[in-house]
Amino acid sequence: MPGTNGALRQFTRRTALTALGAGIVGATAASWPRLTGADIPGRGDNSLSIAIMGTAADAAARQKVIDAFAKVHPEIKVKVQAIQAVDWKDFFTKILTMVAAGTPPDVVYVATEGAQLFAEKLAHPLDEYLRRDADHMKEYFADVHPSLVEAFMYKGSLFQLPIDWNAANMYYNTASLRQAGLERPADNWTHTDFRSTLAAMKKANPKDFTPYYWTNRLFGGVVPWLYANDTSFLKETKSPGGEWLWDGFYANDPSRSLRSGGYQWLEPNADDPRVFESFDYLRGLVKDGLGVRPEEGGGSALIGLFASNRIGTTPAGGYWVQGLHEAGMTEDGFDVQFFPKWRTQRHQFGTAGYAIMKTAKDKDAAWEWVKFSSSLEAMQIVFPTPNTTPARRSMVNEQLYAGTGPRNWKVFYDTLDRFPTTGPIPAPPQQAAVETALMKNVSLAVSGDERQLKDALSSMQRDLELALRRQP
Amino acid sequence: MSTATSTPTGTGSEPGRKPAHKGSSTSKRGRVQQRWLPWAFLAPTIVGMGIFTLLPIVASIALAFFRWDIISAPTFVGFDNFAEVVQDPTVRVSFLNTIVFVVVAVALQLGLALGLAIMVQEKLPAWLRVFFRSAFFFPLILSAASVSIFMRYLFNEQFGVVNWLLSIVGIPAVPWLTTPGGSAAVVILVYVWQNFGFSFLLFIGGLASIPVETYEAASIDGATGWRKHWFVTLPLLSPTTLVASVMAIINALQVFDQPYVLTRGGPGDSTRTAVMVIFESAFQRLEFGQASAIGVILTLIIMAITAAQFRLSKRFVFYQ
Repeated sequence: MPGTNGALRQFTRRTALTALGAGIVGATAASWPRLTGADIPGRGDNSLSIAIMGTAADAAARQKVIDAFAKVHPEIKVKVQAIQAVDWKDFFTKILTMVAAGTPPDVVYVATEGAQLFAEKLAHPLDEYLRRDADHMKEYFADVHPSLVEAFMYKGSLFQLPIDWNAANMYYNTASLRQAGLERPADNWTHTDFRSTLAAMKKANPKDFTPYYWTNRLFGGVVPWLYANDTSFLKETKSPGGEWLWDGFYANDPSRSLRSGGYQWLEPNADDPRVFESFDYLRGLVKDGLGVRPEEGGGSALIGLFASNRIGTTPAGGYWVQGLHEAGMTEDGFDVQFFPKWRTQRHQFGTAGYAIMKTAKDKDAAWEWVKFSSSLEAMQIVFPTPNTTPARRSMVNEQLYAGTGPRNWKVFYDTLDRFPTTGPIPAPPQQAAVETALMKNVSLAVSGDERQLKDALSSMQRDLELALRRQP
Repeated sequence: MSTATSTPTGTGSEPGRKPAHKGSSTSKRGRVQQRWLPWAFLAPTIVGMGIFTLLPIVASIALAFFRWDIISAPTFVGFDNFAEVVQDPTVRVSFLNTIVFVVVAVALQLGLALGLAIMVQEKLPAWLRVFFRSAFFFPLILSAASVSIFMRYLFNEQFGVVNWLLSIVGIPAVPWLTTPGGSAAVVILVYVWQNFGFSFLLFIGGLASIPVETYEAASIDGATGWRKHWFVTLPLLSPTTLVASVMAIINALQVFDQPYVLTRGGPGDSTRTAVMVIFESAFQRLEFGQASAIGVILTLIIMAITAAQFRLSKRFVFYQ
């Protein structure tokens, strides 16, 4: 029956096309929230969107804090969005992309590296809220060292409350040290003591053992050596202001006179003779096989290498403890000491906290989140293990390091108390360009002869001038 | 062709209507269909390309004349971005690096692909040919970032497998990723390893299309071994070589993933490429105007090189 077959064929084709069309319309309708970006946290509803650096697992881990927050503020709905990134620079790039796309979060967890970029362009100061809730906040500031708070001051205003932080202390492998016949270094060990320690470790350990492993980054790379030698690759000054905060919350602090309206890095300083001296010291370590030639941004395998006893020493903060524990290192397998002394024993640190975006829909609600996140209750939920150093002194205790080590965990917070001039990562608003200018010249500076070092520092000075000339 | 007139169950078969009139109506509709139907089918592609390709190109060119940091409103600066880009030593070095990279990487990529294609096509049994076609193409389907992260471990100076293997034969550790020469070598090596598979497949196709009779004729004329390849294979493969080289050069000019992940452009600027500078200008320094200006310059260079290749092809490419 050809006619029937034809009709059947036509019917089938039409039905198929209709079904296809209906399917496309249905799929479009079903995916409408995705197409319009309405499923982006905070978009399409009134919830407070909070961006953190991390994975979906990190976002899920915050659920307990969100639940606790909901008990206090049931009227504020919160959505946490975890953004995966290689480093903080990468994270800020992604936040800026969200800003460009018209979907900025309301609150962002920002580290020192981006603090001034956010303060200059994106963040809302906390001053009015702190003045309003001064009585409530006194307990927080009494528990947090002013050096950490000062890192988030910018032109006299405070933009973030430190939640966690890390200083560049010196980790060492206790077995390698013992093998070299050495005891725990003294608190005030010097850069020459450090070099001797490395030489002894190298002599006593296998050929593939690396006495000093360091990375080419803004934190923990060359900068701690520059700070210890009382210099930096950028000229550091401080802006006036901030008395309202210091007099209000730190009037009786012994380091009150040191505090300011915030750090400023306005000019390059790579041509300072002390910068040359510091780089030359590191060049010597590389040349004599005591330290590695650092790769740019390297160090991702560092924990594994350290835990497998192939590295003697490396600069790192409290964030390393949990990683070493999970990598199988026993609490006696490693320990930590202050960074070696040179002209000073000033350390480098980085800290992080929530910043309220200028574009936040409900800044009052955002402040409630920031305030709650700085409470002891919230921080105890967020930091059950030592995968960073909590900003609250009371939380850095024996209980936190029980079962993981290090034995001398007190070094972490003592760094701030013993060396109150300890300063933050030098990160002006042009941080990304500044970091690139530093990193790209470090390997060359420490890899060749003295001539190459001078050329690399000249190049760094020129690159930094260009970077700082640009508006963030 | 009008489907309406040939369909007995057409919708125009109303009682009392003259067939001629009906035919005229359907053919008119048919003409309208003929005229608009192709456009209807093309519309999704045209709209898609317009929104996702053409519009960004136009916007990017326009952006090159503005200073814009995403956060503040853009301001018109005329040709300032181009002037700054031309004077920027980092941009100049990165373009020079890119040119050197293209010359070395493309030569290696095409040479390796051609050599292996001839070897696989002529020397191996059919079942092994299938295996190697897949094996050589395999790296191309991997993420360049993942490959580069993996290679970074392999080439680590202290703990990498490469230096460990070298140490077995008594060669001291090579600072692969921390010296300008070593970094450039690794970036080129990783790039070529990952990309030669595509050129290889093109050459395999080209070799298969060369008639066996041509080789037989060459043999009768006394050509053997390399002479046969020189006088038969290479000339007849020249159209494939043109396509492979155009694609390889365009790809190589846009190299980003390997140097970014392996070396971050360092040490110094030794492995910084043009696209890396675009990324850094836009997303790290927030100078989207300058990034667009560099993008425009790079596009013009790619267009010029491609045009030159096609022009030269008239002299060097032989079509059967």
